Amino acid sequence: MARSRRTRRLRRILLVGALIAILADALLIVYLDRIVTPQFEGRRWTLPAQVYAQPLELYAGLALPADALEQELARLHYVPVDALTRPGTYHRSGSRIDVATRRVQFAEEIREAGTISVITGAGVIQRLRDSSGNEVPLFRLDPLLIGSIFPIHGEDRIVVSPAEVPLLLPAALKVVEDRKFDTHHGVDPEAIMRAAWVNLRAGSIEQGGSTLTQQLVRSYFLDDRQTLWRKIKEALMAIILEARFDKADLMNAYINEIYLGQDGERAIHGFGLASRFYFGKPLDELELHEIALLVAIVRGPSYYDPRLHPERARARRDLVLRQLAHFHVITDEVAQRASARALGVTTRVTAGYYPAYLDFVRRTLRRDYREEDLTEAGLKVFTSLDPRVQALGEQALVDELTRLDRQRKTRDGAQLEGAIVVTAPQSGDVIAVIGGREVGFDGFNRALDAHRSIGSLAKPMVYLAALETGRYNAATIVMDEPIEVKLAGGQVWKPENFTQESYGPVPLTRAFADSLNLATVHVGLDVGVKRIAATFQRLGLERMPELNPALILGSLDLAPIEVAQLFNSLANGGFRTPLRAVRTVIAADGTALKAFPLQVTPVADSATVYQLNRMLTKVTQRGTGRAVYSRLSPDIVVAGKTGTSSEFRDSWFAGFTGSHLAIVWVGYDDNRPTGLTGAAGALSVWANLMQRLPLTSWDEPVPESLRETWIEYQTGLETRPTCSEDVVSIVVPREAVLPARHGCVEDKSGDFTTRAKQWLEGIIH
Amino acid sequence: MARMLALFCAAALLSACQLPNPYRPPPQQQPVPGGTPSLPSPTPPVQIPPPVESQPAPPEVPPPQPPRSYELGAAARSLVEQAHAQAAAGNYAVAASSIERALRIEPNNPLLWIELGQVRQSEANYVQAENLARKGLSLASGDPRTQASAWRLIAQALQGRGRGPEASEAHARADALAPH
Repeated sequence: MARSRRTRRLRRILLVGALIAILADALLIVYLDRIVTPQFEGRRWTLPAQVYAQPLELYAGLALPADALEQELARLHYVPVDALTRPGTYHRSGSRIDVATRRVQFAEEIREAGTISVITGAGVIQRLRDSSGNEVPLFRLDPLLIGSIFPIHGEDRIVVSPAEVPLLLPAALKVVEDRKFDTHHGVDPEAIMRAAWVNLRAGSIEQGGSTLTQQLVRSYFLDDRQTLWRKIKEALMAIILEARFDKADLMNAYINEIYLGQDGERAIHGFGLASRFYFGKPLDELELHEIALLVAIVRGPSYYDPRLHPERARARRDLVLRQLAHFHVITDEVAQRASARALGVTTRVTAGYYPAYLDFVRRTLRRDYREEDLTEAGLKVFTSLDPRVQALGEQALVDELTRLDRQRKTRDGAQLEGAIVVTAPQSGDVIAVIGGREVGFDGFNRALDAHRSIGSLAKPMVYLAALETGRYNAATIVMDEPIEVKLAGGQVWKPENFTQESYGPVPLTRAFADSLNLATVHVGLDVGVKRIAATFQRLGLERMPELNPALILGSLDLAPIEVAQLFNSLANGGFRTPLRAVRTVIAADGTALKAFPLQVTPVADSATVYQLNRMLTKVTQRGTGRAVYSRLSPDIVVAGKTGTSSEFRDSWFAGFTGSHLAIVWVGYDDNRPTGLTGAAGALSVWANLMQRLPLTSWDEPVPESLRETWIEYQTGLETRPTCSEDVVSIVVPREAVLPARHGCVEDKSGDFTTRAKQWLEGIIH
Repeated sequence: MARMLALFCAAALLSACQLPNPYRPPPQQQPVPGGTPSLPSPTPPVQIPPPVESQPAPPEVPPPQPPRSYELGAAARSLVEQAHAQAAAGNYAVAASSIERALRIEPNNPLLWIELGQVRQSEANYVQAENLARKGLSLASGDPRTQASAWRLIAQALQGRGRGPEASEAHARADALAPH
């Protein structure tokens, strides 16, 4: 009795247990279905914002020889062909280049694919013609994709629609990864058994039995742990997905989801981004051998990394090609031809990764956007980056720092560092940012974050403030003589000239060009430190500098980007324009979200700034910056200023031409002395960069309120070029009367008309 | 006194008639060897010998220049036409970005700055309209017609901000430069 009761109880327990197990299983499936289906249905990958460089505008008259245009097309990964076939190709015959352009999203519009013919000659573009032979005034090339703003966990991707996927890709994936994809229900027991057998014999994991659906589930929903429970979950979820969605959907999801490479913190997901990452072009332009390589990489993105392990990657690519031929996706002949091709992956340099510039873009955007918007919402960001200037700047910095390091070996092998900011002064566009000599490394961004003593770069602000008082002009005699300044704390400041000598009475132009400290301190104290500090602020410094007499000689720590803002206001003729890296942000659907339009604010009288800028051209023609002409053609007029901080800790050069402003800083990260003046260090980087750019002179029209004349550089007496030795050209206000070299020009201070005019003006005022 | 006044007027007239001198780069001296960037410490400024004028000196009195007249190149012109159509459709943001494109091609052309100012004026952004006109004005040296259109825009912008008297003054300057 007791026994049968026990049996009954046992049976009941077993029954209940089985019921519970079935229920649990059902519950598990329902639970998994609840997770998988909605998440997959509303399938929205997080789409990091994509960042684009400025597009190159082509127009008749642009200085762009055919070779340079070909380089630009290569940068955009256009492929040379014998006859134009598809977008992304071009054909060159001599000085004429025909381009089959891609469909392009610009900030304002989408331009459909088309063709354009560029006829060059004598180093410039002569004509542009569209496909029907009509002349077009201008045409812009694709903006280069320079990167994306991916989240901390690092997933980056470009989502492609089925229409953008070459037919060969799914075919190849099926052959290589999952031959029963079209018929199985999520798992392929036969493949699992086969894989198990292979692995058992080999004693290690040689073959995976996972279907594409299982791989998708693993990547989309699960982590990488190899546990039995996870395997069961994976299989169940794959079956659920197969039951709920059709094969085409799953294939497209796979193509967008799967992990295909690593770039530092950034995980490359999906074939759309992988195509950009490895080949620099859109997925639909890939050729067979390139598709085969991507399919080869699926199995082990780091093991088969084509940049690190090209032989390994190539062997597997060729295996993929053979399999494709074996399963009759392609013919043997086609497979063999593709096997003969090189891997074709881009180097990092041409892949175009500009971390310092992207950092600047990110900081701009973070003021207006939440982190999730940037990393998930699929925004497109159009920037001012000029990839060519950026690349040349990187090269100039690396070349010159390497050369300087070789000259001055330090005992502990410390390396010089540097930073460059380049702008287009009139628009305030920041066209290049280089944050250090390891240009591809997303590390300390010196262009934005290295706050260093600016030394003589302060002088333009001092002299602008002086000219603005109306008491000074370019010919005014100032005293370069020793001076002692009592500071607030009771200390006495005794500035010195670089040469530790003093030069007595000198014209303002010379004091500026030769960067004479004593004369500058006399001028600065006369003008007043407060007024000078205010000038810094007006030109664009976002904080008030400390009111200390040493400000006159540049005891102020600024980052290169802040210096760029100050000098940009000078190069822009006294108009401040906020420096901008970002022009426009558009949403994933193409609607404009935010624009950073060109804005100008007059911050100094343009004629006064013109006088100062002419004095800046004397720095390079006569003064401390003249070494620029060891590299630049003497026909090019450039304005610039050297800066050296105390004990040679910082070497600066800030200068502009008609089209570019560049700020260069060179120094050690630990702030030790470099032994370099601004001219010996930063200037050489600046000139190295500028000599590679198509230069235009700084030649703004002389304002009508100024007159042009000549003075003797030593004495400041007005003269004529043929009359005295050592003559420089200057501009002064039209009404300014200068003491003249006797016998060279009429001494207007004795001229009757002028005296009468002055007398009358005296009465009127 | 009257004679003095007459003299003054003559002098003032003379100076007003003088046309602005075009700026030409002065003759270059050869770079001084001591100043090449490869040397660790540069020669101090005074030790540099005075430059030798190796090229013919510029003319002592620059020949008077006829008033200049700014024009747009073909590429910039087509962008401005595009901008006009976009502005006419009320699409000011896009019109402005078309003119910005043109400005990247011809950044020193005062006409483009005035064009951009006019777009801002149309969208009642009077501060930028005035500032952009002043930027154009600063580049329009020697071209009274362009100066006049800059002053007209300044006048409109001031009017927009309710600064009537200053607006009339700006109008008067425009009319003095190039009567309607």
